[in-house]
Amino acid sequence: MRQGGGRVVAAMSGGVDSTVAAALLVREGREVIGVTLQLQSCDEATTERSCCSAAATSRAGAVADSLGIPHYVLDFRKEFENEVLRHTWSEYSRGRTPNPCVICNERIKFGLLHDFARSVGAGTIATGHYARIENRRGSVSLLRGVFGPKDQSYFLFSVADSRLSSVVFPVGSLSKDRVRAISKELGFVEKALESQDACFAVKGKSYSEILRRRFDAHAIPGDFIGPGMAVVGSHDGIHKFTVGQGRKLGIALGERCWVKSIDPETGSVYITTDSADLLSRGLTASIVKWSGGGIDGALECSVQVRYRQAPVRARIEHQGQGLVRVEFQNPIRAVAPGQAAVFYDGDRVLGGGWIESSF
Amino acid sequence: MGKIYFDNNATTRLDARVFEEMLPFLRDNYGNPSSLHSFGREARRALDNARCNAANLIGAEPDEIVFTSGGTEADNQAIMGIADLIGSPGGRIITSAIEHQAVLNSCRHLQKRGFSTTFLPVDYEGRIKPADLEDTLGGDVILVSIMYANNETGSIQPVEEAAAIARSRGAIFHCDAVQAAGRIRIDVRKLGVDLLSLSSHKINGPKGSGALFVRRGIQAPVLLHGGHHEQRRRAGTENVASIVGFGEACRLAGQRLDETAGNCRMLRDRLEKAIMEEVQPAIINGSRENRLPNTLNVSFPGVDGQFLAINLDLMGIAVSTGSACHAESREPSYVLKAMGRSDDEASSCIRFSLGGENTVDEVDAVILALKEFVGSLRTA
Repeated sequence: MRQGGGRVVAAMSGGVDSTVAAALLVREGREVIGVTLQLQSCDEATTERSCCSAAATSRAGAVADSLGIPHYVLDFRKEFENEVLRHTWSEYSRGRTPNPCVICNERIKFGLLHDFARSVGAGTIATGHYARIENRRGSVSLLRGVFGPKDQSYFLFSVADSRLSSVVFPVGSLSKDRVRAISKELGFVEKALESQDACFAVKGKSYSEILRRRFDAHAIPGDFIGPGMAVVGSHDGIHKFTVGQGRKLGIALGERCWVKSIDPETGSVYITTDSADLLSRGLTASIVKWSGGGIDGALECSVQVRYRQAPVRARIEHQGQGLVRVEFQNPIRAVAPGQAAVFYDGDRVLGGGWIESSF
Repeated sequence: MGKIYFDNNATTRLDARVFEEMLPFLRDNYGNPSSLHSFGREARRALDNARCNAANLIGAEPDEIVFTSGGTEADNQAIMGIADLIGSPGGRIITSAIEHQAVLNSCRHLQKRGFSTTFLPVDYEGRIKPADLEDTLGGDVILVSIMYANNETGSIQPVEEAAAIARSRGAIFHCDAVQAAGRIRIDVRKLGVDLLSLSSHKINGPKGSGALFVRRGIQAPVLLHGGHHEQRRRAGTENVASIVGFGEACRLAGQRLDETAGNCRMLRDRLEKAIMEEVQPAIINGSRENRLPNTLNVSFPGVDGQFLAINLDLMGIAVSTGSACHAESREPSYVLKAMGRSDDEASSCIRFSLGGENTVDEVDAVILALKEFVGSLRTA
């Protein structure tokens, strides 16, 4: 039979967080296998900060060497293209604001990498995410990272419990300063760079437009509809816009304006000059995952509709067919369909879903 | 059991006797072979001796051997150098779809310079058909480059027939024999090739040296311009220690060839038989009759080749998923794709390449490991 109950696969991007995560496990005496995911081709237009760059990959290899652990580069380019990039484009093409990091975590980092870990007899996978896992009485919970400003639980909400139960986040209970200090102790201060979740950064270019060209897809052009339903201009594709966007719109109304909503049927992009128009009282979302027990009738909790948004108290009501209606206690600005709505009870992630509409 | 090395097509262990031969030239004998003094003469003698040994391995004359930094440089020199001799672009180069990247990318580079290229297809066993060469060979062809044996599958190409066809039409014929040397007997006269590439580190020599055979009577292609080294065929002070090692490796490879090939064939056949009987389904990639005795390339449908190779590595067993030159890519091998394998078959392959030092015990340990991992990866 296969050996190695204590074997753990550590995802290593070459950045400081995953470096420290792997190092802490080595320090604990675990048998660690370092893995870097190759998600995009080196020659594609990713930036140096991207975790997929060749420089980051070789940095991860050097870190693994100095920790004395084996290191492999897993080529998941095809899966990343099919599972993450296609989905991301499909969302943009419908005038929505996708969240590729959530999908990548769900399908690649905690999907395929999990499969790989199982195949090498590793019972655990570790990443450098700022979040915590609580395994209690046979049930598993995802918690916010202790260090609030870096908390990444929002990006992890949809990872299945069956996967989470074999995950460890060694830096999730540390502060960023503490992580930097450990990195320095280990002598990695020069090598390590910030790199998490930068796969989609492309310098000076519109990512949605890059995806459109990649998939050779048609853009949906249309009109800008301003206050009073007046046509105030035209654009060459709804994929270039996101709800709440106030820059690079390509129109001049003589005063500040923002995207209020997008209609993929007509290609219309609705513009407002009143920032109060961007405030929503609530949203509907299609639930992806719910681990906070059944929603019987209604439930009070807090909700986050984007990364780094201060959570807002809300009342959730189940509406059938996997939909929930969420009413905020205080209005939230720029609620964008396609983004994740994640529900929390304090630090605990109750579940979440994709925003379908706001009101 | 210690670690097991079944990746001899990627590189080989430096032979202990080769190491001994090299030592003086890494330490005390540092002369430049071009110098007139005793230091230089000593280095020159060593170089001449190595040249004889390299020539003997392939049935050539010593003055037909040009030392290079390795197989890739030899391939580049043959292809780029011939294109340079022709001078004006517009000529055509014929090669095969399964060549090493050193050949393929040299040809692609020349495409950018205005030359055209024909990539011959291969059959299900990974071999070109001489008739295909005959059909496409016209007066515009300046060079035909066909490898002796493929690095991924070990399939041996009909080089002798191809060379005869090329020469009958006046085209120069180059053969990349990097994987064949030391594994099968090579006779450049019988083959009728004009140019032939060799590499030191594939035959238990050191890395950093190789050779291009340039047949007497043809104008030598040149890649590196500079001093008059290697009879003006390759400029740059010779890497004496590495070339000395290469020479000794050639001598030993020639001497031991039958023994090494026999041992490798016995072990390879044992491994192949066990896989076909006990790790089904499995598909052999490569020719059963015309194949290097040390190479076994197998697809395990439904298994991710990269995952399998990593599992074996964690047990101390070194194999490869294809060519070491792009081991980190899960792109299905272009060699297997050219042979008509599906993406799944191509990305589920493992290459076992044996060497003279491997043993029956090692083969049996690998079989055991395969039975465990292939089964569990299939159900995963």
